[in-house]
Amino acid sequence: MSTTSVPRFVRADGPDKVTGSGRYTADLTLTGTLVAKFKYAEVSHARIARLDVSAARAIPGVFAVLTQDDVPDVRFGPFVQDRTLFARDVVRFEGEIVAAVAAIDVPTAQRALNAIVVEYAPLPVVNDIEAALAADAPLVHEGWSQYGAADVLVRERNDASFASIAKGDVERGMAEADTVVHSRYVADGCHAAPIEPRAVVAQWEGNKVTIWTTTQVPFDARAGVCETLEMPASRVRIIVPHLGGGFGGKCGFHYEAHVAALAKATKRPVRLVFSRREEFIAPDRRREGIVFDFETGVKADGTIVARKVWLAIDNGAYTADAGFFSQLAAMHALGPYQVPNALAEAHLVYTNHQPSGSVRAPTAPQTCWALESHTDEVAKAIGMDPVAFRIKNAVATGKEGPSGQVYDEIGLVDCIEAATARAGYGDDLPDDEAIGVAIGWWPSFSAASGAYVKIDGDGSGQIITGAQECGTGAVMTLRQLVADELGMQPEDFELVYQDTSAAPYDMGATGSQTLFNNGRAAIAAAGQIAEQLKQLAADMLEASPADIVLADGAASVAGTPSRSVPITELAGIAAGGELLIGHGSGVPPAAQEVSGATCIGDVGMTAWVAPQFSCHAVRVKLDRDTGVARVLHVSTAHDSGTIINRIGATGQVEGGVMMGIGQALTEGTRYNDEGQQRNAALLEYKLQTCADAPPIDIHFVEINTPNAGPRGAKGLAEAPNVATAAAIANAIAKIAGTPIRQLPMTAERVWETMNTEGSPA
Amino acid sequence: MSFTIATTLDEALQALATGARPVAGGSDLVVGARHGKAPLPEHLVAIDRITELQCIEVTDAGVCIGAGVNHHIIEHHPLLSNAFAGLSDGSALVGSPSTRNVGTLGGNVMNSSPAMDTGSPLMVLGAEAELRSLRGSRRVGMAELWTGPGRHSAEADELCVAIHIATPAPRSNSAYLRLEYRRSMEIAVVGAAAAVTIADDGSVSAVRVALTAVAPTIIEVTGIGLGSVAEVAAAAAAAASEQARPISDVRASDKYRRHTVGVMARRAVEAAARRALGEPVSVPVNRAIGIGAAS
Amino acid sequence: MSDIVNYHLTVNGMDYPVNAAQGRNLLSVIRAEVGLTGTKEGCDDCECGACMVLLDGQPVNSCSFLAVQAQGRAITTVEGLQQGDEMHPLQRNILEEGGVQCGFCTPGMLLSATALLERNPSPTEEDVRIGLSGNLCRCTGYAKIVAAVQRTAAELHP
Repeated sequence: MSTTSVPRFVRADGPDKVTGSGRYTADLTLTGTLVAKFKYAEVSHARIARLDVSAARAIPGVFAVLTQDDVPDVRFGPFVQDRTLFARDVVRFEGEIVAAVAAIDVPTAQRALNAIVVEYAPLPVVNDIEAALAADAPLVHEGWSQYGAADVLVRERNDASFASIAKGDVERGMAEADTVVHSRYVADGCHAAPIEPRAVVAQWEGNKVTIWTTTQVPFDARAGVCETLEMPASRVRIIVPHLGGGFGGKCGFHYEAHVAALAKATKRPVRLVFSRREEFIAPDRRREGIVFDFETGVKADGTIVARKVWLAIDNGAYTADAGFFSQLAAMHALGPYQVPNALAEAHLVYTNHQPSGSVRAPTAPQTCWALESHTDEVAKAIGMDPVAFRIKNAVATGKEGPSGQVYDEIGLVDCIEAATARAGYGDDLPDDEAIGVAIGWWPSFSAASGAYVKIDGDGSGQIITGAQECGTGAVMTLRQLVADELGMQPEDFELVYQDTSAAPYDMGATGSQTLFNNGRAAIAAAGQIAEQLKQLAADMLEASPADIVLADGAASVAGTPSRSVPITELAGIAAGGELLIGHGSGVPPAAQEVSGATCIGDVGMTAWVAPQFSCHAVRVKLDRDTGVARVLHVSTAHDSGTIINRIGATGQVEGGVMMGIGQALTEGTRYNDEGQQRNAALLEYKLQTCADAPPIDIHFVEINTPNAGPRGAKGLAEAPNVATAAAIANAIAKIAGTPIRQLPMTAERVWETMNTEGSPA
Repeated sequence: MSFTIATTLDEALQALATGARPVAGGSDLVVGARHGKAPLPEHLVAIDRITELQCIEVTDAGVCIGAGVNHHIIEHHPLLSNAFAGLSDGSALVGSPSTRNVGTLGGNVMNSSPAMDTGSPLMVLGAEAELRSLRGSRRVGMAELWTGPGRHSAEADELCVAIHIATPAPRSNSAYLRLEYRRSMEIAVVGAAAAVTIADDGSVSAVRVALTAVAPTIIEVTGIGLGSVAEVAAAAAAAASEQARPISDVRASDKYRRHTVGVMARRAVEAAARRALGEPVSVPVNRAIGIGAAS
Repeated sequence: MSDIVNYHLTVNGMDYPVNAAQGRNLLSVIRAEVGLTGTKEGCDDCECGACMVLLDGQPVNSCSFLAVQAQGRAITTVEGLQQGDEMHPLQRNILEEGGVQCGFCTPGMLLSATALLERNPSPTEEDVRIGLSGNLCRCTGYAKIVAAVQRTAAELHP
């Protein structure tokens, strides 16, 4: 793909970002701003025997010290209402907030934290996912059954959400199989790790609060403030300045209410800026660790006849948005395969770890890693090439997937063929190199979304949207969609966004949904203006509005280009009469009905609207003496529908793949016996550097997807992160002679696996 | 509280004599203070603008590297990267381009971390630190200087002003490798340096091997027998694994460290031998051979 | 307080008087006292490169450099790259190549690239990758950033 042959996409927010003039939340200062700091539990599970903040409050320069006693006593949470703003009686993970301080400066705030007296009575630390499911395991939440929760959730003791997908008769299927392969895998948790740490600034005017915050989901953040501080939405305004990355880590409602409460108590603006360590330990958004148990029955000819999966997800101490993870993980564990007899059972298990939450394709990369490692084991067991095995069993157009959904136009097999061919799969390689292949999938999330478009008297326009830009460029692409609709140029439009009081609702930068849903809304809003412009032009050119074409900045009569009027002129006329204002939302596409599967704990994750597919083929070199693996080349093929913004799309693939390489090799949270993170710093939690990045080949399988987003587009931000770690695993397994059963596949784990007795290497 | 920017060595020594602590690039000091390792000293004297500390002086007898010379310069210096290649290997791996630009050889040596990348190269090259105070000047070998993690035998008023390394015998050279999990911004999980002299018959006539991050200080491996390069490399690997006293921490287990430090020692001997024979093995070895090489 | 010291810093050619505690790092003084917020804090630990500035043309992690120690030296921040209304070629190219997503690493990345091209006007791809390896980017996978630096080198030294 050449980037020189297509028009260059220059982001509307780009000049701000390259000149340093763009403001991020931590860059904002209001007159009189105080510094906020949190007192964390530091211990993983304990009853608060004593909490005394009086000495801290007495320090000169300390304006407020708040605890749960100082805020409305509200339990909140989108799936299970298991959390309070501050710890109440019990702390359940090291990053739980016990108290918050607002002080004149950082040293004073630090002194106040040190002066807070907390005494704990230790409780048993629930540190192991499987042990937590035992009938006699200590409970993370003694009062779990009393909590409010979404009706569909199936809960029991430490299991916050059980889900199953059952189809056919899995026992009979296993009995009919020629070979049954059993595998166990364990994925450690890991982090979104955006380069910008979280920040929040809050200021009250009268009874209204404005909160500038680093959220990916401004409307969710607003809802959280309203719920916990018991305020109507009309009195809470969330503004997101430039956002320095999210990757899901900044989804949900975080510290907006804490800072708002401090600002209210002090009658001053208050600013919170996280350190990197806080970024690691505190947020309820980190990628969940999962334990997997797979069993696949297969015929000698390579046909999958049955698959049985058991998995347990580390929920952490609070459920956050992870309530749907069990069913989603169950889908990923069955995988994009035709499986006539399937049973997947998934548990979301409370532990005394940092809470899990949506990080870029939640549950998918690690489940794909486990399933696809298992898939290579199955292929090997029957002596079949793993790529041929996948092509034989993968879901395809008109075929039925593991949950009973029959797929219309999809391009998974095309992806497998393209990625492997472009990787040179099958070519001879040195004996310390191999190509591993994996396939993945991810839903498009259909949701309500809104936008306005207006064109002012001078012919320049504004797109006022509820959508959130977290770096992907999805919001930036709206200019292109609106401009195309109106025959104008993207540069003619300014974007007004990330302000809940200015724009209509959008779900936010989550679920790869921005272009899918807000694109539809912006096109609908632009369509209303197009109608107005056509009417104005028709009156002027004495033609029918139906015959007016908007192109190249002008309205012309179809077939008679000489009968034309510039849009700027029409805008001038409209400015003195009926203004050019459009609003749009559109109807979100609905998922297909599925049949044939029985689901317990159904949160609607078994039928996917416009699913996205991918295949990654990765060439890896392994240093057998040390277990250090290096990724030499990544070949990717994605079916994400129509690609509207090619630079933006390739950027998502490159970024997703690099994140996947990190997850595969160097990124994983280590816990000590007390459930505390041992590597909460960027030196020990290693993101991939520029020097590690391999060449990444990108191919898009653009097929005509029914029921997709604007112009046939699906989502793309999460999909490229799904299959990379799995493909790397299969390459390492080929060289090592045996799969690595724990993620990340650190050098030591690879070496340990190769040198364990009985290993073929 | 005081902060003095010294422009001459004498000014710096005066400040040290009255209780100030030296700061060169400052990264160890500033980061250490922030992490609560040690509070930032009250009285500081900046030594990064003292010309006398910036020079690299080459004589027939050897080289004198000013304590203020940074890692970027050591990595790229034509003489050092040829004749003292193991030291350049170490400097080239420190942190990132910016830390190599700010971090100095003297700072690295006096920080006395057992994980420092220049430590084992200096040890196998038989380097000496020149410590100076108003009371006078003395030279100490590395084994004598480093007494524990972050601890050294210099007095508070002594400033490390230079590192002296004798010119190696003909057909000699050195190399340093470390185990790293990514290609930049790493700290040594383990590392090993070797200095090797090759006899006319192609066998190894002298060898020194030192190890990084497997003991409270950089340690030198003892008792490596002589022989062919392959024999010496194997002996170095075995001796390194045997003599290492590693800990288990979040970076690696003691078992894995013990194994991999042997691998690093073997590769260091092999790379040093190739260099001693005049084969070009570019700096740093980590990026010239094996898994760290550019693809 | 006794630990407050008075000194001057030269940032992007402008002289700034500073009154700040002796232990303050250059990053916080540039952001809070000098008032230029283009330089970002990502880790406060020399591990991400978002705080990169140039000191006499050489890259320095400003989070781990004492501000008092920068007096008398020329400090360049991202705000100093642009000449008048004209973007530096690196700024233009990183935008056109798509090397900017969230933008938080971008200032540090641009300064590392500036220093690299100053030292090595015709870098190989490997030189660029090593030269930028102290700047973490979570969004882009680095490919388009490397392309922008190589394109700039080719434009400046055809």
